[in-house]
Amino acid sequence: MSILDDLIPLTRQLHLTAQERSRPLCWQPATDIYRTPEGWLIKMELAGVRQGDIEVHTCGRFLMVRGKRSDTPLRKGCSLHSLEISYSAFERQVELPVLLEPLRISSEYRDGMLWVRLSTRGER
Amino acid sequence: MDESSALETLPVFPLRNTVLYPYLMSPFSAGRPASVAALESALAREDKLVVLIAQRDPRLEQPGKDELYTVGTKAVIKRMARSEETIEVIVQGVERIRLVEMEQSTPYLRARVEALPVRLEEGAEIEALQRELLSMASEYLSLAQPVQAIDLRQVVAQFEEPMQLVYFLATIPQLDVERAQALLEAPTQMEALTLLHQYLAHELQVLKLRKEMAGKVQSGMDRQQREHLLRQQLRAIQEELGEKNPEEAEVEMLRQRLDEAKLPDAVRQEAERELSRLERLPAASPDHQVTRTYLELVLELPWQAETEDQLDLTRARQILDADHYGLKEIKERILEQLAVLKLNPQAKAPILCFVGPPGVGKTSLGQSIARALGRKFERLSLGGMHDESELRGHRRTYVGAMPGRIIQAIRRAGVKNPLLMLDEVDKLGRDFRGDPASALLEILDPAQNHEFRDNYLDLPFDLSKVLFITTANTLDTIPRPLLDRMETIRLSGYSDEEKREIARRYLLPRQREQAGLSEQQLIVPNETLMTVIRRYTREAGVRELERLLGRLARKVALQFAEGKTEPVTVYPAMLPEMLGTERFFLEQARKELPPGVATGLAWTESGGDVLFVEAILLPDEGSLTLTGQLGEVMQESAKAARSYVLSHSDRLGAERPRAGIHIHVPAGAIPKDGPSAGVTIAVAMVSAYTGEPVRSDTAMTGEITLTGLVLPVGGIKEKVLAARRAGIRRVILPAPNQKDLRDLPEDVRQEMELILVEHVEEVLDAALPGLAGRLRFEAGRSAAG
Repeated sequence: MSILDDLIPLTRQLHLTAQERSRPLCWQPATDIYRTPEGWLIKMELAGVRQGDIEVHTCGRFLMVRGKRSDTPLRKGCSLHSLEISYSAFERQVELPVLLEPLRISSEYRDGMLWVRLSTRGER
Repeated sequence: MDESSALETLPVFPLRNTVLYPYLMSPFSAGRPASVAALESALAREDKLVVLIAQRDPRLEQPGKDELYTVGTKAVIKRMARSEETIEVIVQGVERIRLVEMEQSTPYLRARVEALPVRLEEGAEIEALQRELLSMASEYLSLAQPVQAIDLRQVVAQFEEPMQLVYFLATIPQLDVERAQALLEAPTQMEALTLLHQYLAHELQVLKLRKEMAGKVQSGMDRQQREHLLRQQLRAIQEELGEKNPEEAEVEMLRQRLDEAKLPDAVRQEAERELSRLERLPAASPDHQVTRTYLELVLELPWQAETEDQLDLTRARQILDADHYGLKEIKERILEQLAVLKLNPQAKAPILCFVGPPGVGKTSLGQSIARALGRKFERLSLGGMHDESELRGHRRTYVGAMPGRIIQAIRRAGVKNPLLMLDEVDKLGRDFRGDPASALLEILDPAQNHEFRDNYLDLPFDLSKVLFITTANTLDTIPRPLLDRMETIRLSGYSDEEKREIARRYLLPRQREQAGLSEQQLIVPNETLMTVIRRYTREAGVRELERLLGRLARKVALQFAEGKTEPVTVYPAMLPEMLGTERFFLEQARKELPPGVATGLAWTESGGDVLFVEAILLPDEGSLTLTGQLGEVMQESAKAARSYVLSHSDRLGAERPRAGIHIHVPAGAIPKDGPSAGVTIAVAMVSAYTGEPVRSDTAMTGEITLTGLVLPVGGIKEKVLAARRAGIRRVILPAPNQKDLRDLPEDVRQEMELILVEHVEEVLDAALPGLAGRLRFEAGRSAAG
């Protein structure tokens, strides 16, 4: 083995720590959970995600939100200069202290945030 | 999986020397135009996807389809940053793909790919393999980077995808691209796990071996490096201060000394050779020190230096007389030698051997001879030396080699003609390491010692100008050839009067001075000295006497310290109080001797002594029993005496002439030997057979023959002095020993009755007064007496 051969994988390992290297494949949006008189409000930071690309599910006490973020198509002659936003699949699970099936779910997309309301009123 | 079998068209980023596994993030930088273009194209996509495939030959700048492996990884670009020519990206592998078709190769590679999922399996074997891999990887990490230890288990616990573990662990060892690619291409989970296990096991072993080797080298390196660094710093500091480094300075100093030293040509040549060797040796080498020490010895040895002899005979005589009382013969011998040196400066020095009891001043005589001659004095004790190398040195090849004691003494003296005193030459030992006495043969032979070769020095050194004086207590243990090379001079014990003079002139002043007393403060009259000599000491020399005088002086000093002012005169009556009760009694001779006991005289290493011979008749017939540790010569002497007595028993008027006899010589534990007790044994036997007691004031010595002749013996002076010490005033001596009486001090000769005899009958006549009437001498024999 030449020194160079040794060095290349080494530097690669040095740049990213083991934890960094092994991130989950999907990115996870930051999430706030509110208690409301009606029930629960969950806010997720999902800026730049097209509404059609978001799926919301419930299962037991879990609320699952997943989808993918795609970049806007670039005009001809444009190119990226720097990239920090993850354009790929995302997935987030939130556990709540109650069963969610009986609750009514409504979601709306406002100012780059996904609002998911879980309310006891008007049960299904 | 239907949907994943759908083909996708994606830009291809060729990888050199590495592989990207699915699920893992990795940074890459693209510099090649095709790679940059591929990334640009990927970044322009809404999903930021790119395909990464390793190229088979990393040296290729623009690999085509055939130069790429067919299996790669689809990845999403997570981060991107640009610098002038290159694009830095962090990508995360999404899934494994197979390259189906290359759609374009310029300006960048674009290919149609299809997903190639790994076939997953479940079961105990998979589980076991995974755990095993985890522990191997942990071990690998702890060996490879013990500092940044990470808990692999924690990281792994978050994994969701089954293959994530394998791919993650595959990044821990440093795998070459072939093996990494093989792992990526593994069709099933099981095969991937097995392959990785194989790789990890191998890498782990290699790492352990490297670690082991590094450890071995490291410990040696650390110390040397440290020393090397410190030396370099030292050198830098010295240069800064304008000093030379110590080794250079040292070599220069040695060279200067070598230039200045007066050395014989052969020696100079050898020294130059060693010096140039020293210059080449690194200071850390053990040889450096050895060579330096050797050179210092060569330079310090007095190859040419000598002191000039003081050949003023009058002055020499004064010094000898001032230092030593008596010893006329020795002083004469020294003065003779001086005279010879005066007439012939090239004369070879004689080798003298002073033989005498302890404490008679052999060593101090050597010192005063050196003083008289104006020579340097060096002394070395040979007592107990049993290794030839101590005298002659070790060869320089040995660790810790040193020159021999002779060369060391010469070096200390600093001249090539010192007076070298070899003490206790009779107490040389010998063992398997060699015989120092044989080494002394060469050293003490004037014909050989001008080229004495010390093993360490390995250069001939001239010892012929050295005046050797050896000392011994007895000549018996000195090997003949060695004795043959020396001129022996006997120092016999001192008489009481001589001791008194020595005490008065040397010992008392010395002890007074040591006790801090003035001459007036301590006065010791002659009779007191005499009492101390006679009643408190029994020795041939004066050591004990000096100790006693020292004690006396200290007692008096104590009195002065306690406030006494008037001088102290020590009278004999005060002695018991100051020195304790008398230790020896003057009337040490037995007052009355029973029949069968006679007083003999013996010569011992510590001077002379009185001994008694006891004989007693036994009831049986004809036996002869001898006890008292008698040596062979003494036993034979006793047999001769008995045969003589038996053959004359009728004339002596013995009551039981055939009776067996037992002879004992106390003290029973001390070995005795020699023929000189012959007459004493004969007298004791006659006394036993006849029942007549021997005169108790008479002692005797002499060898006896079967015909009754009395032959001369040695040590007359010591024996007579011993008899006198014991309070005996009559001594029977062989007539041929008359010449030895001149050695006796005048007053002793005056005081003692010395009876010289030729025949044993004269002895009987003188020792057995009761026999006088019965003894019938033959007319002729009587007339001869």
